[in-house]
Amino acid sequence: MDDKLNIVTTFLHNIIVYNIPLLYGTVGEITIEKSGSLNLGVEGTMAVGAIFGYILGCYANSMVVGVLVAFLTAALCGLIFAVLTVTFQANQNITGLTITTFGLGVFFFVGNGVKAVSWPAMNNYANIQNGFADLAIPGLSNIPVLGEVLFDHNILVYLGIVIALVMWWYLKYTRTGLRLRSVGENPAAADSVGINVRRYKYLHICLGSGIMGIGGYYMGLNMNGSLSSSCWINGYGWIAVALVIFANWSPAFAMVGTVVFGFFNTLRVSGPSLAMAFPGPLGWLAGVPSQLYQALPFIITALVLIATSVKKSKNSGQPAALGLNYFREER
Amino acid sequence: MRVHIVKREDCPLLKKILLIVGAVALALVLGGLVLLAMGVNPLEYYFKMFTMGMVGNKIAYKAAENYLKILVPLILTALGLSLAFKMRFWNIGGEGQFIVGAIAAAAVAFQAGPVLPTPVVLLLMCLAAMVAAGLLGLFVAALKVKFGTNETLLTLMLNYIALYFLTFLGETKADWNFFLSAESARPTFASFTSMVSFPRILLGKFGLNICVIITVLIGVLVYVYLKRTKQGYEIAVVGDSMGTARYAGMKVSAIVLRTVFLSACLIGLAAAFKVGTAGILSASITDDVGWTGIIVAWLAKLSTVGIFLVSALIGVLQYGSTAAAATFASVDSSFADMLQGVILFLVLAADFFTRFRVVIAKKEVERHG
Amino acid sequence: MAEEYAVELRGITKTFGPVVANHNVNLNLRKGEILSLLGENGSGKTTLMNMLSGIYTPDSGTILVDGQPVTISSPQDAKRLGIGMVHQHFKLVDVFSAADNIWMGAQEAGFVLKKDRYRKIEEMTKKFGFDLDPRKQVCNMAVSEKQTLEIIKVLYYGAKVIILDEPTAVLTVQEIEKLFGVLRRMRDEGHSIIIITHKLNEVMDISDRVAILRKGEYITTVDTKDTNEQELTEWMVGHKIDLNIERPKMEKLKPLLEIRDLTIRSDEGNVAIDNVSFYIRGGEMLGVAGIAGCGQKELCEAIAGLRPIESGKMIHKGENIVGLSPKEILAKGISMSFIPEDRLGMGLAPSMSITDNMILKNYNDAKGPFVDRKAGREDAQRVIEELGVVTPSTETPVRRLSGGNVQKVLLGREIKAGPNVIVTAYPVRGLDIHSSYAIYNILNEQKKSGVGILFVGEDLDVMMALCDKILVLCHGKVMGVVHAHKTTKEELGLMMTGSLDLTHKYEDKPAGYAADSLFQEKGEEK
Repeated sequence: MDDKLNIVTTFLHNIIVYNIPLLYGTVGEITIEKSGSLNLGVEGTMAVGAIFGYILGCYANSMVVGVLVAFLTAALCGLIFAVLTVTFQANQNITGLTITTFGLGVFFFVGNGVKAVSWPAMNNYANIQNGFADLAIPGLSNIPVLGEVLFDHNILVYLGIVIALVMWWYLKYTRTGLRLRSVGENPAAADSVGINVRRYKYLHICLGSGIMGIGGYYMGLNMNGSLSSSCWINGYGWIAVALVIFANWSPAFAMVGTVVFGFFNTLRVSGPSLAMAFPGPLGWLAGVPSQLYQALPFIITALVLIATSVKKSKNSGQPAALGLNYFREER
Repeated sequence: MRVHIVKREDCPLLKKILLIVGAVALALVLGGLVLLAMGVNPLEYYFKMFTMGMVGNKIAYKAAENYLKILVPLILTALGLSLAFKMRFWNIGGEGQFIVGAIAAAAVAFQAGPVLPTPVVLLLMCLAAMVAAGLLGLFVAALKVKFGTNETLLTLMLNYIALYFLTFLGETKADWNFFLSAESARPTFASFTSMVSFPRILLGKFGLNICVIITVLIGVLVYVYLKRTKQGYEIAVVGDSMGTARYAGMKVSAIVLRTVFLSACLIGLAAAFKVGTAGILSASITDDVGWTGIIVAWLAKLSTVGIFLVSALIGVLQYGSTAAAATFASVDSSFADMLQGVILFLVLAADFFTRFRVVIAKKEVERHG
Repeated sequence: MAEEYAVELRGITKTFGPVVANHNVNLNLRKGEILSLLGENGSGKTTLMNMLSGIYTPDSGTILVDGQPVTISSPQDAKRLGIGMVHQHFKLVDVFSAADNIWMGAQEAGFVLKKDRYRKIEEMTKKFGFDLDPRKQVCNMAVSEKQTLEIIKVLYYGAKVIILDEPTAVLTVQEIEKLFGVLRRMRDEGHSIIIITHKLNEVMDISDRVAILRKGEYITTVDTKDTNEQELTEWMVGHKIDLNIERPKMEKLKPLLEIRDLTIRSDEGNVAIDNVSFYIRGGEMLGVAGIAGCGQKELCEAIAGLRPIESGKMIHKGENIVGLSPKEILAKGISMSFIPEDRLGMGLAPSMSITDNMILKNYNDAKGPFVDRKAGREDAQRVIEELGVVTPSTETPVRRLSGGNVQKVLLGREIKAGPNVIVTAYPVRGLDIHSSYAIYNILNEQKKSGVGILFVGEDLDVMMALCDKILVLCHGKVMGVVHAHKTTKEELGLMMTGSLDLTHKYEDKPAGYAADSLFQEKGEEK
């Protein structure tokens, strides 16, 4: 019985471990989209943060450096996006897609380039290794099952949750957040009351991109820094774009969404072992094709998109000016 | 001194061209600096890249054939997307539509290949791919027209749903799954090259695939369609001003549905060509043309001729970098993606100066009284 | 030293591409006065005020606030200088509450949003004598509430100079009275107010002084008490040189288009056209006069089949055309052209060439799948020559032409289609005298060939000279139809403001029904 319980516990624990990067990506994208910009470059931005964060973090043998570098390099991608779309009024879709092409290019170029010389293996850097180790929260982690599932994680998991909560509070309960939302809803209105639309967009595009970058760094660490032919991010950036819609542009719901999407994502890996442990109730899991789990986040999101448009729901958190550039002297 | 930005309508063509050429050149210089830092001579590298390794190569015709193989799906996809974009319908579902088309074409190849004559099979493959992709596009367009569903995000989701459906087919061994090779124990896509494949016209050693000819023909057709036909005219009016289109008595919804269907059809055809030439499905069958096609269509400003030119350039970057990687082992082939990104960033920035004028306002220091 | 004004504009010029919106404009606003900024549509009032509120930046000229030269390069600057503007199209965030719409721009509000913001805003609202629920979301508000919110917002930010852009356009008579009360009180409390309008009765009612703009140029400023509506009109539309507009006399033909008991709602859901009846005969030009926004646009759109009607009949040659598609109505020979304020909105595809715009309504008539651009180009060439359109070529995108030329292209296309009814709204909006006369001549030619014309216009002198009869609208209601050569400007003015109602002059039959209507005879004729 203990074995079975362990399998369940591990499964639930893994939902969080494997999917926290989604939370970073989603919260980052929400931050950007709330300013009215649709940045489709999540995948590329996360990749850039990941590769630089990992390599430089290892060289410095410091996870703090890794996180900072990941944040800053990803924020730099955000800066490119902001310069092009906010100042140069370029099409947001095209710019975002280009950020993805560019970011993945940088990822492999830098990754393969460093690998050709000598690749820093995570095992050799004690501080990184230890820094990414699980940290049990005293007391709470002793609760049976729940303790291990929720309160025994690496520090970046906690950081991700804190960022999501802070962002939720920031958007909802601060005046700067209110102003940010006004920029995304109606930039002309925000402008007319003296809000510096351009500055708000720039800051939040960079901030959001930086948050994504940390998520990318997390993915690298979680893969033990082993570089293969596929990018560490491996589509998580795109799931994050979907998750923003599913979470209705709320960082709090993004946490729920991460768990929901993560549930399916983890079931893909753990499905067979669960089926083996519980052949009766869960035996059918073995028969579910893993691709269905992979597709589910997108299927659910597509349904959410269609349902909200059919209902014409007024409660949608989608910023009214999402994807539109603002030019004051429009006539 | 204050900088002030004003919209402009009248940027001279020469200036536009100079700006874009300048942007590309600057990107190449930046890329060159990276190469220099790596100890690679940029001129040699770029030479290799832009000639795609064909100079001094005994099997240069092979390189040309492979280059065209990259080009055909890219051009067709960009052409298809340009139809929808002209109407300001942001179909970014090229990937998904391509995949659905590819699956349909492959299904026809496997089912009809053994029983019907090759030309008929090829024709059926194209038709099936076009209809399948077209219906997927139509689905989104219908939701957009009826409920105002955001087509950008929906087509984005469909891309991944289609992709995972394709990998499902590629990784699931089952009796019904005729896409897989029967011999192999591990699930791998089966090849149908022996049954059907698009014919080639041999010009000496160089084999000109019939798809290339059809693609050029379709380019001409799309050009004529957009520039000369009533339907093309309707697309232009709807894209320019929906109010005016209604005022003129056009059935805007029907036009949107028809155009998006056509747009997706062309992408489906691109998929049929790709599958019919490769003779096999694969999880990466699209080669990202759904994404690259968007960028091509946009860079070409939706002009049909422009799409051919930009595709040719991007094709050179992509194929040339693999060719160059053979000589310059230290430069990863991902250099092309990076370079492509930088070129695009700079072109997008240059584009700003064709649409806007930067005015330096004189400080009003006129003193009165 | 001259008087110190709250705001003073000196030599302001602003252009948008080829369009000169303001040219060398001077304007001053005294402290504690209400100044009306008067001018026709397209005379550059809004553009000028947008430069005060920081939306636009002037190309040249000086702005002085309290006697000091200032640079207003953003709304933030304007706010800091105590200038607030209530825009015609409200600048509000729909999904925010009233309080948050104010709070987002407030200076001293602190980092964290507190619940007491609702109380603070409510207190402020009460203090100014308004009534508004601070928790109500903007998307649930009526138009007048939104306007109130905009005014409170401006006051809350401490504006001393308040600009209102056509604030009465969307209000009912009672709401207008209430608004004027508020404005007077604000003036008495020391605010300086500019109100943009083109309604003369309101100007006389509310303002201390009136400044007049015409075609982007400053004309003059006068004390309201020293002037009258007639004088203002002359300044506004320009001195008539000699309005020698031809009015060809035609024999009476059968009614072509009859409108009966028509009721239409506007986009906002208000009744825009209220139980309106009238008819146009072949070879007759019927003018429609009325202050702007009295349902003219809705009427035109309904006739063209672009707007569903609430109730009533529209009869063309004895046949009810209600419910027909725009295309079917077009096929019946009813042409509608409407020049909106931005001059590009309806009827033209701005990025497309003149040729392409020529074929907009008949591109489908060509045989086969191809568009006949050759015919279109010939038409374009003819229109360019006959109407004197200034353009580099027939292939120039319409948006690059200047306003007058755009209108000629639009009207030229409508006429070449050979319609039997022409509905044309503001065809000379923003045109110089020469171009205007060209357009009158075109319309008269059409009338001579038996076409019935509905001419929605702004200039009463022109309508009195050009039209056979004039129908006057006031807030969507018909105030009567008068013979153009018998009426006077005074009579029309009274009708436009609703002070004179001539509809019940003939009690024996419903006003606006043709005695010889084809509709009633329909059965016998065939």
